[in-house]
Amino acid sequence: MSLQAVLPDTISGLLGLEGVLGDVVGGLVGAFLVANIMLIMTAFAGPWAKRKITAAFGDRIAVNRIGPFGLLTIVTDAVRLLSKELIVPEGVDRPAWDLAPMVIPFSALLGFAVIPMGNGIQLADPETGLAFAFAAASIASLGIVMTGYASNNKFSLIGALRAVAANIAYEIPLVITAASVVIFAGSLRMSEIVAVQAEPLLSVAGVTIPTWFAFVNPFAFALFVIANLAEVGRNPFDIPEAPTEIVAGYQTEYSSVYFVLIYLGEFIHIFLGGAIAATLFLGGPAGPVLPGFVWFTIKIWAFFLFTQWARSAVPRLRVDQFLEIGWKGMLVLSFANLVLTAIIVGVIA
Amino acid sequence: MIGILKGMAVTLKHALDGQTFTVEYPETAPEVSPRFRGVHKFSQERCIWCRQCENVCPNDTIQIVQDDKRNGEQYNLHIGQCIYCRLCEEVCPVDAILLTQNFEFTADTKNDFVYNKEQLKNVPWYKDIDPLNSRNPDRNAWVGEGEGEVDYQ
Amino acid sequence: MSLEEQQSDEPAELESGVSRGDELADLLGDLVVGREEHMNAPGLVIRPDEVQDALFKLRDEAGFDHLSCVTAQEYEDRYESIYHLTKFDDRTDEVSVVVPTSKDNPVSQSAEPVFRTADWHEREAYDLVGIQYEDHPDLRRILLPDTWQGHPLGLDYDQDRPQIATLREHANPLEEDHRAAGDSNTMYINIGPHHPATHGVLHVETVVDGEQVVDLDADIGYLHRCEEQMCQQGTYRHQIMPYPDRWDYISAGLLNEWAYARTAEDLADIDVPEYAQIIRTMGAELCRIASHMIALGTFALDVYGDFTAIFMYAMRDREIVQNILEDLTGQRMMFNYFRLGGVVWDLPEPREEFFEKVRDFLDGLPQALEEYHDMITSNEILQARTVGTGVLPPEVAKSYGATGPVARGSGIDYDLRRDDSYGYYDELDWDVVVEDGCDNFSRLLVRMREVEESAKIIQQCVDLLEDWPEDERNIQANVPRTLKPEEDTEIYRAVEGAKGELGIYIRADGTDKPARFKIRSPCFSNLQTLPEMSEGEYIPDMIASLGSLDIVLGEVDR
Repeated sequence: MSLQAVLPDTISGLLGLEGVLGDVVGGLVGAFLVANIMLIMTAFAGPWAKRKITAAFGDRIAVNRIGPFGLLTIVTDAVRLLSKELIVPEGVDRPAWDLAPMVIPFSALLGFAVIPMGNGIQLADPETGLAFAFAAASIASLGIVMTGYASNNKFSLIGALRAVAANIAYEIPLVITAASVVIFAGSLRMSEIVAVQAEPLLSVAGVTIPTWFAFVNPFAFALFVIANLAEVGRNPFDIPEAPTEIVAGYQTEYSSVYFVLIYLGEFIHIFLGGAIAATLFLGGPAGPVLPGFVWFTIKIWAFFLFTQWARSAVPRLRVDQFLEIGWKGMLVLSFANLVLTAIIVGVIA
Repeated sequence: MIGILKGMAVTLKHALDGQTFTVEYPETAPEVSPRFRGVHKFSQERCIWCRQCENVCPNDTIQIVQDDKRNGEQYNLHIGQCIYCRLCEEVCPVDAILLTQNFEFTADTKNDFVYNKEQLKNVPWYKDIDPLNSRNPDRNAWVGEGEGEVDYQ
Repeated sequence: MSLEEQQSDEPAELESGVSRGDELADLLGDLVVGREEHMNAPGLVIRPDEVQDALFKLRDEAGFDHLSCVTAQEYEDRYESIYHLTKFDDRTDEVSVVVPTSKDNPVSQSAEPVFRTADWHEREAYDLVGIQYEDHPDLRRILLPDTWQGHPLGLDYDQDRPQIATLREHANPLEEDHRAAGDSNTMYINIGPHHPATHGVLHVETVVDGEQVVDLDADIGYLHRCEEQMCQQGTYRHQIMPYPDRWDYISAGLLNEWAYARTAEDLADIDVPEYAQIIRTMGAELCRIASHMIALGTFALDVYGDFTAIFMYAMRDREIVQNILEDLTGQRMMFNYFRLGGVVWDLPEPREEFFEKVRDFLDGLPQALEEYHDMITSNEILQARTVGTGVLPPEVAKSYGATGPVARGSGIDYDLRRDDSYGYYDELDWDVVVEDGCDNFSRLLVRMREVEESAKIIQQCVDLLEDWPEDERNIQANVPRTLKPEEDTEIYRAVEGAKGELGIYIRADGTDKPARFKIRSPCFSNLQTLPEMSEGEYIPDMIASLGSLDIVLGEVDR
């Protein structure tokens, strides 16, 4: 299978650099580009798109004063948030409290290193790509525990504990469901998972439907999306933040730049969740007519839209019900799915 | 699951129909009713300095100062503490007070909200309706002007 | 004019009530040391050390199971606590238990062992008037800060002396350490006064074990504005009416105004024209819809977690009601529309346009409610969250004096509009909504179904008003400009407010201002049930229960 060259190689090739220097320069420039693509998307999502979407669901108008469609709100919001005073409460555990807001967004960004975004935009394509993506995304939990522990606030502590409980309960179904895809694809390498999905499943009236795993195994897709919602902490699994119950959960004490970083981290996390779902189930950057990267963007934004939709329409579960669904429902279903998939694949092969 | 989907369907319907119930204030100022009670307007020409408004005001918003011949000297209104009950307009025998439709006023400090009679003259007037007329059907109904014998004072 | 007849019947009922007083006095025997006559009920004077005996007897043998209110006041020569008792089954059967105590030793036995609701009511009496209650489990200030000097409704209280309770002097909730022993597994958290789900400035001192609430104490008083005293300084005729709007300020204004109007009209023997009663009834029910819409929206907010779509839809529907009310009264929330003897304005001209507006709203309401049911009650997650949580058994609800949708959600068939009818309600066709679930879901359902009933009432009122002959549109009775009810007449009257039984006690002293004006706030009593509903449950359920009580701190703290 001929794989496309990864982004750092392309860059070093364009710059005419070779060897270690080429690897380093290409890697850094590539990482810079990918990170900024994601940060720009988050900038659109956080201060602007989220408000617009929520307003549409609530029959409101929402931001429209500054710039066309209120888009320049992004700039003013950034200035506003960055110029606020950073309030450091008494008794916080300083190194951890300062470090946590960096851990959360960076872990999510790290996950994008292995995501194929189309048009050759992929930083690295290791054999264990999928495992890397999950591992990197899970580092965020560490950051959340740090915020909760270091903030010296009981609401933060409860929020962090909830986040950990949620992560453990839903990470397993998430990974197990992803494993059923790996059985189909026969590889953990992201580019291969995407490539497998490009083959045609069936042809109806001249329209070829590719073997996207969402079509092959819609049940696994549904499981994955639900577990993913819990993983990114969105309604109905909005447990770690739960604004009406525990104020703002683990981020209660954060303000100014630190708040921005945590907020960014959450949104990048949603996009990462969308990106993994798109790669595993929706053929990654594949799609007709438009270039791959555009399709990739559409897919991750669709997931973002879905989280916002759920936020407007679905109530939050209670923490014990949430864990019950995770351990007694999702875990069982995901294993059932894995076993069934394994049998089917075994029989066909 | 059906219930959750129903809820999602309802919200989606609202999101897609593009209708909003909020307005863009101040470009689209909300319609106020003809009866709306906004900022107090005082007419010095009409006032006979009977001090009934000062007496009826539930929280001493109106302050009147008279000279020794009972001529009016000052008419001060602490608009910041006015509760817009309209009792002053109701008791005024000569229509010297009307609560306008204006509800847009701001100040930097509480003290800026003390209006004297000159300032009260400049309060923006009703939008397009004749103020006295708009209240006319109601004026006969005002409190305590019953014609029966029980009405003592 | 059947209605006026019914109202002027009230004194006749009092005549027969005298015999009721004799009956009850016989029942209590030697416990009664004197008799009084209140306009609403016979008054039995009890010695301050025999309060519990008397109340137990009245509760267990005469069936007075509802302690509606406790009024405390100071006279020149004595202190007095009045226990306004009535029955959930028969609201018109009332009795006042009057307990005088001496000036120099104002100690009276607590009624808390008989009625749990007396807990907070007596704390308030102690706080504001200064009567001490023996056997009270927890007699400390409730509305004012702990450091407050004096009792504001006492006669010798210096109102001009400023008192500032600084954070340092005030018991600072942040510094207290409520953890019991060193090895305890519990954690103390402050839910409020600044918390997204407390519906105002409520401070709930909570002790949690993990996520479970083990102990809970609601700390109120952050919004105390001396509403009772403000009313005591206003004239009956004009100056009191603007203030009821500000008790339960979540668009329940007309319902509150009616509480005052009903009490003062009965006190001064004023008849209200039938036409005005219909307008009142319509306006009050519009207010009830607006208020229940907010209750629905904020409850959804508490359970869903964000200012989500449902909250906005509820606001949208409330907005329509408020526009109608603005056309009718001239204000959107602080109506000041009722007057003693009627209402201030007739329906706005052109009447057809107004009727059409109301009809349009009523026509759109079923569809809106259908949407709410799709989004809220039929949602499985919401059901999982609310069914069986925040359980309030009927006996407990009665003991705490819970009324309104909270009581009706616990299966108590009690609605003052029917049981102690006023206005035009008994002429109209509508039902009292009762749900037996006793949980958060039932309380939600009661409110949603009550909106339908209110719509029915409004519909009938509009039909009546439309056909009303033009020359009989009398909106006000002939009321003297100055009202001076006779000295020492006392009355306690209640109406069905948006949150429950909103009662007012007035004692006249012959001047044009009340000598004592006591407000029985339904939220105050309902909020007392929160620990019963929440202890042992999870924090999210406690928040949902608080939301389902639908309290307004303006009315709790007054």
